[in-house]
Amino acid sequence: MATARLSWSVWIMKETYETKIEQLRKIIEKIEDGNTGLDDSIKLYEQGAVLVKQCEVMLAEAELKITTLSRDA
Amino acid sequence: MDWFNRPDVTTVCEKVPLRVSELSAIIEGLLDNPLLQDILVRGEVTNYTHHARGHRYFSLSEKGGGNTAAVIKCVMWRSDAERLSCNPSEGMEVIVSGTIRAYAPHGSYQLQVKEMRKAGLGEKFLLLEQWKKQLAAEGCFSLERKRCLPTFPARIGVVTSETGAVIHDIRTVVGRRYPLEIIISPTAVQGEQAHREIAGAITRLAGMVDVVIVARGGGSFEDLFPFNHPDVVRAIVACPVPVVSAIGHEVDVTLSDLAADLRAATPSAAAELVVPDRIVLTTRLQELKSLLNASLQARVAWARDEVADMRDRLRPQRFSRKLEERKQNMADLSDRLERAFSNRLSHEHLLLAEMKTALDSRNPIAVLARGYCVAEKQGEVVRSSDAITKGDRMKIRFYDGNSQVIVERVDHERNL
Repeated sequence: MATARLSWSVWIMKETYETKIEQLRKIIEKIEDGNTGLDDSIKLYEQGAVLVKQCEVMLAEAELKITTLSRDA
Repeated sequence: MDWFNRPDVTTVCEKVPLRVSELSAIIEGLLDNPLLQDILVRGEVTNYTHHARGHRYFSLSEKGGGNTAAVIKCVMWRSDAERLSCNPSEGMEVIVSGTIRAYAPHGSYQLQVKEMRKAGLGEKFLLLEQWKKQLAAEGCFSLERKRCLPTFPARIGVVTSETGAVIHDIRTVVGRRYPLEIIISPTAVQGEQAHREIAGAITRLAGMVDVVIVARGGGSFEDLFPFNHPDVVRAIVACPVPVVSAIGHEVDVTLSDLAADLRAATPSAAAELVVPDRIVLTTRLQELKSLLNASLQARVAWARDEVADMRDRLRPQRFSRKLEERKQNMADLSDRLERAFSNRLSHEHLLLAEMKTALDSRNPIAVLARGYCVAEKQGEVVRSSDAITKGDRMKIRFYDGNSQVIVERVDHERNL
């Protein structure tokens, strides 16, 4: 009988990949927006770079896992 | 019976007799019962007549131990008979759907048949129609309850046979596109009890996965039949996460397909619908990455321009140029002033010289130099001999000096 525990990387993927991509888009928009100061833009860029790295790791670390449930559960 | 209860007998006698039409109406009312409406009946066709007008008259009978145990008269109107998929014949075992109606003119009741199919396969088709109506009424196929698939499922549940190509295909596609956890909920996919197993396998996945694939390879109508069963359809509807169906080939549409949130043509297609493609995701991420870099570069370039512009505006040359301009103005002005002044001056000089000449020409000293002298008495020039008398003191001014004299004698001209 398989347990219903999610693996860590899968959980991260589900909870945050989309969110991270969304954050990344927002960051880019903010930097492009002329109202954001240079200092702030550089800080935003650093945050964006971290997000990109995290997303890359997430995509790279995905792995196939097969579980079969028992039929008489 | 109570023979002594006379009043009772009189009551019976006092009952008003019903007219036949009234009785007929009561019977008709009784037959108008949901139990007798839109029902399925199985039986053997007897006394089959194909009327010239196109209506079909026959009886459905059920044989019991050599004798006819029950018979019901049936009619199928032309409009329904035109849709017959089989050619009914004497002795044929059929399933019909229809409604019981009283027919007052004959004093009989009959089954008004809407549809007729040969028993066996036909039974299943009719059953399918029944289920479809019923489940549609429950809202199982309504578009409003269709859910969107999650963009990034963490785990996918697969309800299918443990063995066979289906699970292999799904594994392959998921592994290639986006490897993640697959939870197989195994079940028989055909057979008399398969519908229970399938429904159980779907229900079992609740809370464990983000999306469910219900899949089965191709097969005959009867092979796929369990996927039409209301148990399976309701399990799909009740599933807390979206369900993708891939049952049989694309041409076979089961009720499960209609109830699923999304229908895929094949199990592989279902897997493709359910998981994102890692290559596409990576490409998009790279695009975002370069967009991020470009955005900062653009921002820095913009800041640089801004600084350059400000520096330009603050540049000392600019300031000194302004100063230079002022100086030039100043010089021009002073130049003009000077020129105007010197003009004026030379003019004045000229004037002065003229005046000097004029003055010189009138200089009394010059006159004296020619041998004249001026007499003054008490500081006043003596212009007439009348102004003096003998003994007056006078001052005689020469061009180079003066002398003090006393008048000895005054001779007036008139006296000469």
